[in-house]
Amino acid sequence: MDYVLHVLVMVSLYAILATSFNLLIGYAGLFALSHAAFFGVGAYVTAILAAKLGIAFPWPLLAGIAVTAALGAAIALPALRIGGDYLVIVTLALQVILTAVLLNWTALTGGTDGIRAIPRVELFGFKLDTPGRFLPLAVVVAAICFAVAARLGASPFGRALKAMRENEAATQAIGKNIVAMKLSVFAIAAGLASVAGSLYAHYVTFVSAESFTIELTIYLLAMVILGGTGNLAGSLLGAFILAVLPELLKFVDMPPDIADKMRQIFYGLLLIVMLRLRPQGLLPESASAHHYNAPSERPPVDAPVAAAALEGRGLERRFGGIVAVSALDITIEPGRITGLIGPNGAGKTTAFNLLTGFLQPDRGEVRYRGRSLNDLKPHRIVRLGVARSFQDLKLFTGLSVLENVLVALPGQRGDHLAYVYFAPWVVRREEHHNLGRAMAILEFVGLGERAGELASDLSYADEKLLVVARLLATGAEALLFDEPLSGLAPNALAKVFPVFKRLAASGRTLCIIEHNLDVIRELCDRVVFLDEGRKLAEGTAEQLMRDPDLSRRYFR
Amino acid sequence: MDLFVQLFANGLVNGSHYALLGLAFALIFGTTRITHFAFGPVYALSAYGCWLSAEKFSAPLPLAIVAGIATGALAGALAYLVVYRPFERKGSPPLVILIASLGLFIVLENAIGVAFGTDTKVVPAPPSTVFLWGPLVVTGVQLAQVVMLALTGALLWLYVTRTRFGKALLAMTDSPDMARIVGIDTLRVSLVAFAVGSAIAAVPACLILVKDGATAHMGFIAVFMAFVAVVVGGVGSLRGAVAGGLALGLVESIGMAKIPTEWQNSIAFVVLFVVLLVRPTGLFGGR
Repeated sequence: MDYVLHVLVMVSLYAILATSFNLLIGYAGLFALSHAAFFGVGAYVTAILAAKLGIAFPWPLLAGIAVTAALGAAIALPALRIGGDYLVIVTLALQVILTAVLLNWTALTGGTDGIRAIPRVELFGFKLDTPGRFLPLAVVVAAICFAVAARLGASPFGRALKAMRENEAATQAIGKNIVAMKLSVFAIAAGLASVAGSLYAHYVTFVSAESFTIELTIYLLAMVILGGTGNLAGSLLGAFILAVLPELLKFVDMPPDIADKMRQIFYGLLLIVMLRLRPQGLLPESASAHHYNAPSERPPVDAPVAAAALEGRGLERRFGGIVAVSALDITIEPGRITGLIGPNGAGKTTAFNLLTGFLQPDRGEVRYRGRSLNDLKPHRIVRLGVARSFQDLKLFTGLSVLENVLVALPGQRGDHLAYVYFAPWVVRREEHHNLGRAMAILEFVGLGERAGELASDLSYADEKLLVVARLLATGAEALLFDEPLSGLAPNALAKVFPVFKRLAASGRTLCIIEHNLDVIRELCDRVVFLDEGRKLAEGTAEQLMRDPDLSRRYFR
Repeated sequence: MDLFVQLFANGLVNGSHYALLGLAFALIFGTTRITHFAFGPVYALSAYGCWLSAEKFSAPLPLAIVAGIATGALAGALAYLVVYRPFERKGSPPLVILIASLGLFIVLENAIGVAFGTDTKVVPAPPSTVFLWGPLVVTGVQLAQVVMLALTGALLWLYVTRTRFGKALLAMTDSPDMARIVGIDTLRVSLVAFAVGSAIAAVPACLILVKDGATAHMGFIAVFMAFVAVVVGGVGSLRGAVAGGLALGLVESIGMAKIPTEWQNSIAFVVLFVVLLVRPTGLFGGR
């Protein structure tokens, strides 16, 4: 009986580890290989405080959370700017250095002997010294940890994490501070892993470096993949299956160290086979059904806004020896649509990048509403009212159409952990209101019917409309569209034209990059012609098209 | 001064070891962009291949090393064909292939443990030549580590600059997508990259076997140091990986004048951390 209870205690601990690991991998798309290390730090902090200093539960657990969360945030710092493979190597390095510290800082960690005789937890005069007595505590703590993770995952912050997983640049372009998001999710995932470590130390009463190796991280990874990334319930299932299944090996007669290796071979094979046959896991991530709950009132989308011009003065940007943009003066007036045209490689997209903070100019200044936008991060510029779209769309393809718009709405208190955890009713009310706003925007561009579909299932024309809707949702008044209409058939164009015209009529400051001269003639009040990084001409479409030199450049 | 000379020599020796690992990893990673974690156990497998030939089949050491290299090349090529290639054909994202490589890592590492046990394997009569040059003490194996870096590096350099196929390989480390566009047969190139890369990694594996012995777990630190050498040197550059490996060895060794030996790997970590903060593209990475 004790044996079954013991397995259940371990299932509880693995459940905490797998769900928190899933937050990092499945939600935020951050591939960190340091989860065993976070678990180990939590266990050792508890071991040291409880066994050496005699501090009683729950203080070592809380101290462990603080230490590990800080470590998680700090370790991620150098990798945040670049991500991808760099995050893998930095987190792997944390694993290596932790093992070195545990083995070599003998005075603190006991070296290869580890730390023994960690006091058991005493609660209400009961000593939790058997699996049966420890199990209720483990289950309750695991439930709390799951609630913390699930609350995060289901919040607007969790939605923003998924957006970041789909596309980091686009997440910045809707005004999210992705560095802060990464630090937060790292701190939370590390803190949760530390809770599991603390319980483990009290339960087993002995810790040593061998329990916190890269192999454990891979084991946890197998749980997350088996259960399904981006679905926390899947991680519970994965933890349960992978903690219970290997116990069956106990009934096969083989030496314990061989059995342990066979177990690990099994996890490894399981990982590969799952990824081949069912990469989404047993319980796949499901698109939310938010759109059913949208309130009926729809705030107006094209209400008049206070106008302002976006100005670039003397902008210059070089890449190595190549001048991408040079001495560019550009003014994008409010209340009309400015077209940016020119042959391929003329510097149009670079100009957009400079105007929206995705690139810093080597020279010159960008001004909006009387302030300089130089040296501001893209997400800050979006919040000040200047947003841009991308030529390659960069939609959040794994999210629903509605979520693509919802996530972009500005000033969401649900993006802040303090509100998510301590004022959920505020977030809930805001979310209800935002559903109405998002639906209004979708209906404005003509995608109301598609709200519940996955963005990856849209037709090309609808994808283009969603790009407009998402940019509109940021609440910015200056909207820069990089080829919003390219590749659209005439009937689709006819659907989109009024959207742009109504936005310009509302006083918004619009700029589009476009190649199709018919579209330019139809939409643009003013056209700026760029070539080789310089502004060659500016005027109405008709004026520019009459210039034989420009036509030659354009059609060469 | 004498101490410094000795530390420098030791750093060069360990640096050569890391440089070979880095070179091998960079060749595979650069051409295929697969984060090949199973590089570690494949490296270990090469050492075991060498050990098996020497111990069970009484092969002379040079022959045993050749057997080790062949083991590595075969295992590396199989890893690509059996595990990675199907994912590539399915168009799986890099993250999925990375996770699969971790799965393969743990499978191979434990399979070695099951097949050979967990004790340290040593070759029957390891050469015990010691050279005394003034204040400098260098063992034959240490010398071999440096010489093999020079030799392997030179051979690889000739291969990627003089042969048609080698040039395709180099073109792919520079820009895999471009290589695809200009019609290089990426399956063959990837396969060769895995085979050649694993063969190169087998050289330091066999030398470590002779020097310190082999264990089933020796692969983890090898793939870690290889990865660090590549990142420090600059992703996508073979020369960078060699320079990164040498730099790691030297910094570790010079650092050890002040710091106890067991913190060796931590120095690599500090170097990595600083490089990523100060120059994220690596010491020799242009982009």
